[in-house]
Amino acid sequence: MPASELKKGSAEFLILSLLEKRARHGYEISKLIESRSKGALRFNVASLYPLLYRLEDRGWVQAKWVENPGQRRRRFYRLTTEGKKVLLDEQRTWDEFVRAVRRVIAPEYA
Amino acid sequence: MRDWRPLVRQRLAALDLDPTSEADIIEELAAHLDDRMRELTTQGMSPEAAEATLLTDGLDEEALSTALASYRTRRRSPAPFGGGAQRGGPFAGLAADARYASRALLKRPGLTTIALLTLAIGMGVNAAIFGFVHPLLLRPLPFANPDQLVTFWGTAPDKGLPVVNYPDALYTYYRQRLRAVQPMAMYAGNDFTLSGKGDAERVDGAIPTVDFFKVLGATPLLGRTFRDDDHTNGRSNVAVISYRLWQRRFAGDSAIIGKSLTLDNQPTTIIGVMRSGFEFPGRTSVWVPLVIDPQSLNCWCYDAIGRLVAGATPESMARDVDAINGDFWAEREGRPRTPTRPGDRSGTVVRPLASNLVGEVRQPLLLLLGAAGIVLLIACANLANLLLASASDRQREIAVRCSLGASRQRVVRQLFMECVLLSFGGAVLGLALAALLVRAGSSFVLERVPYIQQVGVDPAMLGFAAAIATLTCLLVGAVPALKGAGISVASALKQGLRTTGDKSTRRLNDGFVVAQIALSLMLLVGAGLLLRSLGNLLGIDPGFRAENATVGRISLPWTTYGNAPALRAVAGRLESSLRSLPGLSAVGLTSTAPFSRNNNQQEMVVQGKEPSAGEPVPVASVRAVSDKYFEAVGTRVLMGRAFSETDHTDTNNLVAIIDQSVATRYWPNGNPIGAKIAVGDKQNPRWQTIVGVVATIRHQRLDRPPDHYVYVPLSRSPRLNMDIVVRSALASPEVISMMRRAVRAIDAGVPLYSAHTLAEAIDESLATRRMTNTLMLCFAFTALLLAALGIFGVIARHVAARVKEFGVRLALGATPAAVVALVVRRGATLVFLGIALGVAGAVSLAGFLRTLLFGVTSVDPATYALAPLLLATVALLACWLPARRATSADPLDALRAE
Repeated sequence: MPASELKKGSAEFLILSLLEKRARHGYEISKLIESRSKGALRFNVASLYPLLYRLEDRGWVQAKWVENPGQRRRRFYRLTTEGKKVLLDEQRTWDEFVRAVRRVIAPEYA
Repeated sequence: MRDWRPLVRQRLAALDLDPTSEADIIEELAAHLDDRMRELTTQGMSPEAAEATLLTDGLDEEALSTALASYRTRRRSPAPFGGGAQRGGPFAGLAADARYASRALLKRPGLTTIALLTLAIGMGVNAAIFGFVHPLLLRPLPFANPDQLVTFWGTAPDKGLPVVNYPDALYTYYRQRLRAVQPMAMYAGNDFTLSGKGDAERVDGAIPTVDFFKVLGATPLLGRTFRDDDHTNGRSNVAVISYRLWQRRFAGDSAIIGKSLTLDNQPTTIIGVMRSGFEFPGRTSVWVPLVIDPQSLNCWCYDAIGRLVAGATPESMARDVDAINGDFWAEREGRPRTPTRPGDRSGTVVRPLASNLVGEVRQPLLLLLGAAGIVLLIACANLANLLLASASDRQREIAVRCSLGASRQRVVRQLFMECVLLSFGGAVLGLALAALLVRAGSSFVLERVPYIQQVGVDPAMLGFAAAIATLTCLLVGAVPALKGAGISVASALKQGLRTTGDKSTRRLNDGFVVAQIALSLMLLVGAGLLLRSLGNLLGIDPGFRAENATVGRISLPWTTYGNAPALRAVAGRLESSLRSLPGLSAVGLTSTAPFSRNNNQQEMVVQGKEPSAGEPVPVASVRAVSDKYFEAVGTRVLMGRAFSETDHTDTNNLVAIIDQSVATRYWPNGNPIGAKIAVGDKQNPRWQTIVGVVATIRHQRLDRPPDHYVYVPLSRSPRLNMDIVVRSALASPEVISMMRRAVRAIDAGVPLYSAHTLAEAIDESLATRRMTNTLMLCFAFTALLLAALGIFGVIARHVAARVKEFGVRLALGATPAAVVALVVRRGATLVFLGIALGVAGAVSLAGFLRTLLFGVTSVDPATYALAPLLLATVALLACWLPARRATSADPLDALRAE
């Protein structure tokens, strides 16, 4: 499956998952996706930030400029309450989907 | 390290974000790029290579702004009026679509230019014609409640009198009894010689009855209009003048009321100045009250207007007038004037005033509006085909965008947006073209059509242009946009670029071509029929020789010349002084020269051939002419002789000359010389001996059958108003100035006016027709060109798509001629289908043209043969040009590719 099509459906889910435990800035998110997918999924500025802004507009994430002494300003994204609900839903759906797929393909390998 | 902010700012510029959001995004993205840059260089990449990588990864020209396009409306600076309501609505991202579409169009400059020009021509001619149609046919008259205004006249077609105006006595009668119009008025055009301060000049004037201004709802700017006592005291010496004359001749003098001007040598007091724009009838400058003689039937010369009362209709009013006419004649002569006979078509005609004012140009304008509409339809068909082709060419692009997450709706919207931009761009260019066309044509129309102040680019025309642009969008944009977005993503990506599009697209292409051919054939046929009509008219012998004949009119004041001997003396002096000038080969005088407005019709009786009771009495136009008139105007004397000296002196023997139409009517095979004829009062005929027969002259128009004409010697019937006709090989301006000098030598207070050549007069009478023809021809050839372009484009794409197949055919031994024939045959099928439809359409629509045709039927075989021939030739040539390319396919290439 081409990476682009995979990304299209699941990118929002990936981002929400990465923000589940803590707030992160854009570059950090893109690095995490790249490293955890072992380079299979990569986002550039044109593909990542529009997504982030869309999530922000929907009220699923909230962005805030954070200044740390000795470092440049960063814009950190964190999940809102609504975002957490959406993520929970997504995770449940995803788990069900993966289980369903497993059940379908398992006999082939049995 | 590189500062990324300027680059990011540049990429975002097109989105027009509000400054705070933009600054945030720039900072955030620049930081990301810095991090990534650092990461790449630490991995060992050179800074240059790292930068290059970044530039191609998400930072190319469009990627960023396209990706952010839909966020623009949310993060944009707040709109000044409720823009926020759009948030996320169906129109979100419309501006981004527009920008995307304009970029897409600019990337294809050839297509865009052709499309814009095609539309500009189509819309330009439409807007221009609308520029005339609107003020002439659609805009209400500048009078109060114009739809209540009617004009009416009598008609007696059996006597050859389609229009009979009213005499004084009937005015008095109608005013007392006619209830259907309140108020009513009559008027006649009457030019005046205006003298006094400055040069004497001839001005357009009118003599109306008192209620004239009240009927039209016109109030004066200064002073007053007429009162009852202005015209019942047997003499009028007051005048109302137009705003224009007031400005021009009196420099807008605010104390003008009560001042005096000299009209036809009579001191006249100015009592009022009308408001700017009121110049009815025609372009009247001076109104003088009509002095009514309540018993007079002498001058059947007044036009009647009135305001319909509530409840009255033109039909009911016509019946009322007929009934009142019956009473009138019964009272006056003790019997109805025209006994009703079966099939009698005489009666009263009541028309809305508006329809009567623009009569002559109404039909040509509607015809041209239709023709312009057809040109636009053809242009639309072309554009639709172009866009369809471009949508097929872009299948792959569209497929990629769909797979990247663009919705169908979005793609349709973007494709449609291209069409919107083209249509409105075309409309703007078209308006510029229309402004030029309107300026070129308006002086022409203003001269011809009364009561039109301005023809020009106005809000109505802008509205019309916007409306046709919208219509064009819907006609042209919908199909390619839906088709473009309806393609299967998977198959498009798999197959790569296929130029033919699918089968239904091809069928649409073909359909548009057939429609174009059919429509342009209809225009060609229409133009051809009009052209044949003009040719027939130009071939008509007017009965006089127009070349080298110059005419000028004089009007002698009644106060000085109000008796026959004085008039005879002036006419004699004028003739002899002109005759003595070198270079003038003949000089004649007449009451009215050919192609002048004035006419004088009287009933005509021939001794021994009097009509029996109840039989219609024929009418002849009477012209008083001098001895040398026929020589001057170039009319042949067919039998007998022209007038001579003795005709003036011999009071016992009154003489007349008839024209051939009268001779043919009464003496189809015999000799009328010596017979007696009378014109005018048939109760007490003054018999005049016919001494000559002259060729029939078409005095009014070339396209109407000539009236009967009877000529009497000018010396017996001297006139205050005369046309001087001079035949000379000299240039007409020179001749006119010679005439002017001769007139001035006799009386410096009498201006020579309406000076023109007879050739100009004929041209003038054909001017509307010529303009209609020229425009129809332009439209027809534009249509032909567009249709040829259309079929050329379709065939060219067809060839491009099948070039491999043709290569195979050639490789397998087909001759180039056979391949060309294969392609041309496909085009020919479309052409002939279009021609068949076009002929059918032309036949069914040609009826509209009937009144504009002359000497040719609406199914003229020659036109119906030549127009399709011309169209087929051009269209097949347009097929053959791309067909030749089919033979250039290299068989080897083709085989290798297979």
